Amino acid sequence: MHLHLQTVRRVFEDILSGAMSRDQADRWAYAVVQEEETGIVTYSPPHERERIWAGVMYLYGVNTMKAPGEYLHSDSDISTAMDAALGDGVQGEAAMLRLASTGGRRNA
Amino acid sequence: MTVESRPGVDVAPALDDRGGATTERQAFAAATARMKQISPPVSPSQRLMHERHELVHQIDRVFFGPFFREKYGRGGDKALENDRIRYYGLIQPANDGGELAGRRYVHEFDTMTGYTRGWHETVDRAGNVRRVRPERNGGTTKHYQFDSSGRYRGSW
Repeated sequence: MHLHLQTVRRVFEDILSGAMSRDQADRWAYAVVQEEETGIVTYSPPHERERIWAGVMYLYGVNTMKAPGEYLHSDSDISTAMDAALGDGVQGEAAMLRLASTGGRRNA
Repeated sequence: MTVESRPGVDVAPALDDRGGATTERQAFAAATARMKQISPPVSPSQRLMHERHELVHQIDRVFFGPFFREKYGRGGDKALENDRIRYYGLIQPANDGGELAGRRYVHEFDTMTGYTRGWHETVDRAGNVRRVRPERNGGTTKHYQFDSSGRYRGSW
């Protein structure tokens, strides 16, 4: 299984936009955890492994409820966790744009 | 980092039990845990057995730790009396201003059998476990609720 940072970020974004339910996100993360236990998961980029795993472990259980029909986490909690675990998407996009404008030379 | 021995954590609810049985077992386990804390081993043989047990736990933690600590034990780990090690994830905060502080994933590893199990637990601001959501085969979700003194209050 190959897991990209952006894939995890997209799951967070899908929850927040309503494109994915929290139950679905929880089961998706659970499948990743199972895969990690029984097989080999590769992370992309490899140096972001810790952040990717932190994101997966947040999503695993994201549908936890404090009362029947009432989620423990607010959308604001999830958004904050997404930025904490995976970084600010705006910054990431800006960095990508800067990278593109310099022809891919990071230090230019 | 090691999670300190606290009755509320030591006697995390037996996941397969329900209702009164859970409450009784919890109460018994809590009382036993308190007695163990209050009454250290007195005779030399008891002391030796106790030290040996502690040594085995330390070996378990050193040997098995790297496999699980990195993945599940960011919030600490604890060796239990029954040859199991619990790994605690970081608490994921819930900022609703209520009594619940957040949730964490707990992964338990039995060093004798290799069996593992996991659950999500929600803790209050005092550190008491208030909800337990075991991971079940088939993906069915059930929450077990406890009050601040650890008494079982129902499930949904």
